[in-house]
Amino acid sequence: MSLMDQIGMGFALVAQWQSVGYLILGVTIGVIAGAIPGMSAVMAVALTLPFTFSLQPIFGILLLLGVYKGGVFGGSIPAILIKTPGTPASSATTIDGYPLAEKGQAGKALDMALYASCIADLVSNLALILFAGWLASFALQFGPPEFFTLILFSLTIIAGVSGDSLLKGCISAILGLFLATVGLDLVYGTDRFIFGSPDLMGGLNFIAVLIGLFAIPEIFAYVRQPKEIDGDVRKLGHVHLTFAEFRRSLKSILRGSFIGVILGAIPGIGAAPAAFVSYSEARRNSPNRANFGKGEIEGVAAAESGNNGVAGATLIPLLALGVPGDVTTAIIIGAFMIHGLQPGPMMFATNGDMIYAIFIGLVLSSAILLLVGGAAIRGFRYIADVPRYVLLPSVLVLSVYGVFAVNNSVFDVAVMFAVGALGYAMLLLRIPAAPFVIAFILGPLLENNFRQSLLMSQGSLDILARGPITWFFWGLTVLAIVLIVRQTMQASRERADLATLSPSPSGAPTAGRAAE
Amino acid sequence: MTLKSLAVAFGLATTALSATPVLAQYPERPVQIVIPYGPGGATDLSARALASALSSHSSEPFVLVNRTGAGGATGSAAVANAQGDGYTVLAARVGSHTVNPAMKANLPYKLEDFRFVGVYEINPVVCAVAADSDIQSMDDLIAKAKQDPAAVRYSTSGVGSMLQIAAAMVLDSFGVENVKEVTHLPLAGDGEAALAVYQGTATFICTNSSPLASFVKNGQLRPILVTTSEPVEGFDAPTAASLGHEDLESLVGWTGIAGPDDMPDEAAEQWRSWLAEAVKDETFLKFMKQVGSQVDLMSPDESLEFVNNQYQTFSRLVDELGLRVE
Repeated sequence: MSLMDQIGMGFALVAQWQSVGYLILGVTIGVIAGAIPGMSAVMAVALTLPFTFSLQPIFGILLLLGVYKGGVFGGSIPAILIKTPGTPASSATTIDGYPLAEKGQAGKALDMALYASCIADLVSNLALILFAGWLASFALQFGPPEFFTLILFSLTIIAGVSGDSLLKGCISAILGLFLATVGLDLVYGTDRFIFGSPDLMGGLNFIAVLIGLFAIPEIFAYVRQPKEIDGDVRKLGHVHLTFAEFRRSLKSILRGSFIGVILGAIPGIGAAPAAFVSYSEARRNSPNRANFGKGEIEGVAAAESGNNGVAGATLIPLLALGVPGDVTTAIIIGAFMIHGLQPGPMMFATNGDMIYAIFIGLVLSSAILLLVGGAAIRGFRYIADVPRYVLLPSVLVLSVYGVFAVNNSVFDVAVMFAVGALGYAMLLLRIPAAPFVIAFILGPLLENNFRQSLLMSQGSLDILARGPITWFFWGLTVLAIVLIVRQTMQASRERADLATLSPSPSGAPTAGRAAE
Repeated sequence: MTLKSLAVAFGLATTALSATPVLAQYPERPVQIVIPYGPGGATDLSARALASALSSHSSEPFVLVNRTGAGGATGSAAVANAQGDGYTVLAARVGSHTVNPAMKANLPYKLEDFRFVGVYEINPVVCAVAADSDIQSMDDLIAKAKQDPAAVRYSTSGVGSMLQIAAAMVLDSFGVENVKEVTHLPLAGDGEAALAVYQGTATFICTNSSPLASFVKNGQLRPILVTTSEPVEGFDAPTAASLGHEDLESLVGWTGIAGPDDMPDEAAEQWRSWLAEAVKDETFLKFMKQVGSQVDLMSPDESLEFVNNQYQTFSRLVDELGLRVE
């Protein structure tokens, strides 16, 4: 069977109304599930899996892929509207998305999130189709030492999301690292800070920490000072994205897509770090650097393109090698196997039509995401118009419910409120939340990979520079640190100059500062 | 009468002879099945397949809840401490109920805290190395481990996982003297552990057949041992018994349903008949076969005996090798 035949047969598989129907259904389920705080894309895929058993293989797989893609985008909706990341991957989106919603530009932020998501999704799918084999063999060279250097480099992005004070960013990161140590240690199984509680043995639930850190402080703040914010009535969220803004952000979107593709192809990293790396790179390269974190549309674009760029790329190790790169693809591989299909290099020969059908379906899914996502935004953006005295209590109920639902555990709800109190204290002290999240995600990975490397080398540190990939990331890390030091010194010099010119205090951002 | 029948049941430690149910209505409300591991894992998929097979036999729905953390301990402790009304049961697994209790000194639950209604699936354990490795057989692996133990690495899904005890038990059975010196490389899940062997990060892995199936079919990993008495389809490797290591036959994965120890007889009885129905369900059987499990329903007594035997085997091994985690 020639290649063209296979592509033709693949096309025939997708060109059935059911295929498109299941894809639309999947994306819709995914967007809704992603938009519910506490429901992640992984959970949505796991819950959908049993329904695919009785379907034809291609329908079942397209349904699951649709759910996955929709879920990754859906998380950005509550991240922008109510400062509650629907999925961990969208926490970078809150940094600029929520300030935009505060300014009455929720519609604009949502538009940008959707366009950035769809473009990144498309780039990611094309990368899968064109470079799967090459990217997969590159990704497989990542062992613990390579991971360690990559994550060490990723920690430098803390400087990029620290806002005005690097010191405060570091304090936030250290708090995050500290809370991430709670639970059993991976390598020796020792208890850390669990105080005899079985609930703490598994560590702090990620979703509970995330919602506690972002959503709860807003509610506390409103309860204490309802008037101040109420006076600043939020405009209707119907401001649309202009083409000029889109064009300005295009570079960041493409950069984010590529970062997403590379990080997505490497098994075991996930979408959240990709979103943060993309965000930090966009900030570093943008002329509007100072506006990042205060409602910069380019920040939303970078974060969303980073996390959606991962979506297609995680399928690279799955389809090229039959290796599931994360939990979601491990579930999807189950859907393949239940139908007697074996993803991997052999599948191109044995079920080539299926592979091409998936490729075509994936490209189609980017377009469907644009349509379904567009409809979802039109529905959800009215949330931005809801008065705060109605919205915030609803957010509170939703947060409690969502966090409880993850594990059916009241303890997690308590964790959410405790972290919420911490988050509120940080808000009052103007300590940014993003470095906390990054450290909370990356801290355990950094530690585990470091210790795994040393186990492999029987204690010799040489292994941390064992090949070109490690050298590359060591180089990047050094470069990033040099740049950070230079920028910090420059900023403090500018601040000193400014202080001599005018006696008014500068540095700390004023809450209501308008965007340019 | 209730007291008496309870006493009888308790005395005989059996439900096979249990008296006529007092309340014929169980279940009156949804039944919660706690899965102590994350979505998409072997336990999760197995319990979800079971629940969908059961749904047509119960008037009330089943609610599946993942309570993950600490190698299954968080979810197991939650069920051990739950109300014994039969509305909270656990998808108990080899890791949470024999390996963890054998290895961890300060686990917040004991085997006696549970009432087993039935183990319904058995998963063979397979040991594998990378396909491009120069290790062709168990003998090659053992020779390497004896020569330079620290240079041989086995990947697992963490301390106190079935994978750790499986590798240690196999090495011990094949006569490696200093098993503790062989490098243990804990990773975040069994998928990652299998991947590490393929990448060359680890030398070998011993785990259930399902996470390895895909790698073996693609010719990326080479199986060198299966622990069941019968050969496993798709895994071209000798059985432990054929190599003269019958003692390894107790090394298998399993999933079963267990309630808190004070679960009422009536609920336990209902679960028994549910499980008996489920193991006849076509879709369920097909799914379990696809993921490499053998569906084999044990009675509550058999289940308890099986679990206890495995626990004791593991405990002895842990003591011998000094693997206990304090």
